[in-house]
Amino acid sequence: MSARILVVDDDETIRTTLAQNLRTHGFDVVGAADGAEAADRFATVRPDLVLTDLAMPRADGFELIQRIRSSSATPIVVLSVRGGDLDKVRALDLGADDYVTKPFSTPELLARVRAQLRRTGAASRSQFEFDDLSIDVERHRVIQGGREIHLTPTEFSILELLARHAGRPVSFDEIIASVWRGAPGTSNDAVRVHVGSARRKIEPDPSNPRYIVTEPWIGFRFIAEPLG
Amino acid sequence: MRHDWDVRTFTRAVLALVIVIAVTAAALRVGANAATVGFAYLITILGIAVWTNLATALVSSIVATGCYNFFFLPPVRTWTIQDPANWVALASFFVASLVATRLVVRARNEAQEAEARTKEISALYALSIDLFTATNRVGALGEAAARALANVGAGGGGLILFGSGPYDQRTISWSGPPQEEIEDLIAGIARHKATVELPAMTGRDVYLPLKIGGNIIGVLAARGTNATVRALESAATLVALAVERERFLAESAHMQALQEGDALKTSLLRAVSHDLATPLTAISLQIERLRTLIHDPSVEAISEETARLRRRIENLLAMARLEARSVVPRPEPAPAADLFRAAREHLPLIVESRPIEVRVAPDCPEVYVDPSIALEILINLIENAHQASPAGAPIELSAFRHPLQPDRVRLEVADRGRGIAAEASDTAHRGLGLEIARSLSTASGGQVTLANRQGGGAVARVDLLAAQLPAVDEVPA
Repeated sequence: MSARILVVDDDETIRTTLAQNLRTHGFDVVGAADGAEAADRFATVRPDLVLTDLAMPRADGFELIQRIRSSSATPIVVLSVRGGDLDKVRALDLGADDYVTKPFSTPELLARVRAQLRRTGAASRSQFEFDDLSIDVERHRVIQGGREIHLTPTEFSILELLARHAGRPVSFDEIIASVWRGAPGTSNDAVRVHVGSARRKIEPDPSNPRYIVTEPWIGFRFIAEPLG
Repeated sequence: MRHDWDVRTFTRAVLALVIVIAVTAAALRVGANAATVGFAYLITILGIAVWTNLATALVSSIVATGCYNFFFLPPVRTWTIQDPANWVALASFFVASLVATRLVVRARNEAQEAEARTKEISALYALSIDLFTATNRVGALGEAAARALANVGAGGGGLILFGSGPYDQRTISWSGPPQEEIEDLIAGIARHKATVELPAMTGRDVYLPLKIGGNIIGVLAARGTNATVRALESAATLVALAVERERFLAESAHMQALQEGDALKTSLLRAVSHDLATPLTAISLQIERLRTLIHDPSVEAISEETARLRRRIENLLAMARLEARSVVPRPEPAPAADLFRAAREHLPLIVESRPIEVRVAPDCPEVYVDPSIALEILINLIENAHQASPAGAPIELSAFRHPLQPDRVRLEVADRGRGIAAEASDTAHRGLGLEIARSLSTASGGQVTLANRQGGGAVARVDLLAAQLPAVDEVPA
């Protein structure tokens, strides 16, 4: 059975084009023109994923995220505009899982959507397998390209957290809360240094990172599905 | 005026002597005794002192003393005195009349001075009320100066303000006889910061420096005035404050206009960027769909041109945002490899058409920059390199610590294209993209330079600040 996606955008052209493109790639698509209509549709069609714009009349994207999150953990991907970095942060804080920036390409959007649909069940796993990289949580072992990588405990904790949320941006606050257990005075720069050091160890070519990338102003993302 | 004053004084002096003689005659007629006459004289002298000036009162008291001796102290009608007690009486009378005269005159002068000061102060008060409540619009300075000049009783004059130097003089207002060659005089006042007084037909011409915080901002010329220097300087101080106030009013009006302009630009930009992004997204998505359905070079061309259009619009919006100050750069440490990666993701058509080689030095620090601005810079430079390069030639992206400035990171975009013309910076050939990259770099505290490479082609170098990251510890278990 194909996954069902609820597409919410007040611009009809974008809504129908997105629906066509997603249907071409085998998804079942339902559309809604604003937050209020989307909330009603969400209750009746029970989608596997919600793709929503932020600026809309009659209940905007932020309100929709809040309404969905009050009753469900269904993945939400936000369509944001360039320069709206503060909006992205706010949407993530409210419970959105990811965002794509307009104008985006279809492969980019499909990668995000697939990553979100695959993510379910990752929270309880103790073994992660990616392209040429495996992480064994119980034994604290990381194998990349056939060789064992020695990470410090902090680096390992960060990598484990990012891998558990593969495909989704993980914010500095989330990393500090999880790895440092919210220790006061932990700066984003301290997180950057540990992530940088982990990246130097696991990335086969540090000039072309393939596992971890920086999400400007937000945090880091583990790439579940390499683009292109 | 001086002449009138002398006539009046002279008349009063003659009248005073007539009164002394009249008192003497009356006393002789009634046959008053010496003691009574002495008191009568004393009262007369006091009256004269109150009514005239010190000199007249003194002369009157000498005449009275003479008359007293000649007509009333025995032997009468002689200038001699027999009884030594009468010598004492005469001397007492003389001294008493002198002292009383002095006291009366001094008291009267002080009263007059106090009255003049009260008048001056109330006039200045009225002037300050005039200047600071009535004029609340820019350009009312001429009026303010005219009020101040009328207040100090000047027959003419005006207000001159300085611009960049003592000879940069701007006449704000002028009244009365036309302004002669006073440029040097005014400039001299600016240099010496002192009041200049010149004699005139009536009263005098006074040129007063207007001081604000030790600087001379202009000169108030009061012509044909009799006001005291103190009153004139106070008026000048008030005019200087009025000038300063007008300047602040003008500045705040300007600032308000700027702020309103910025707010308007920001809301316009928001509307425009939304209105452009939405149809462009729709067009891009439709074209992508077309590309999967129709394999035709013209679809590819449309796709490429749409991507170019999208980039141009994004560029212009980014520049406009910076200019409208609606976006303040928010720098943060950004790994160069991630900036290159993001740039490549934004240019899928270029990435498909030619090899892009990336090399980040192992010891390259992170860049301290607003990542979205750095991305715009790189995209523009890569597009430029792409347009300048022959098909299939690689574009090389590299990042390393600046060889001469260790607190900077250098990002390079190198191509194997036609290079740049030797005689110029070649912005004409490289177009808008390079200009935008330059402006964005400057806004981020960096700079872009363009040079030819050994072996052909050009290299664009972006020097940006390196991030300073802290030393860190392990998280305690």
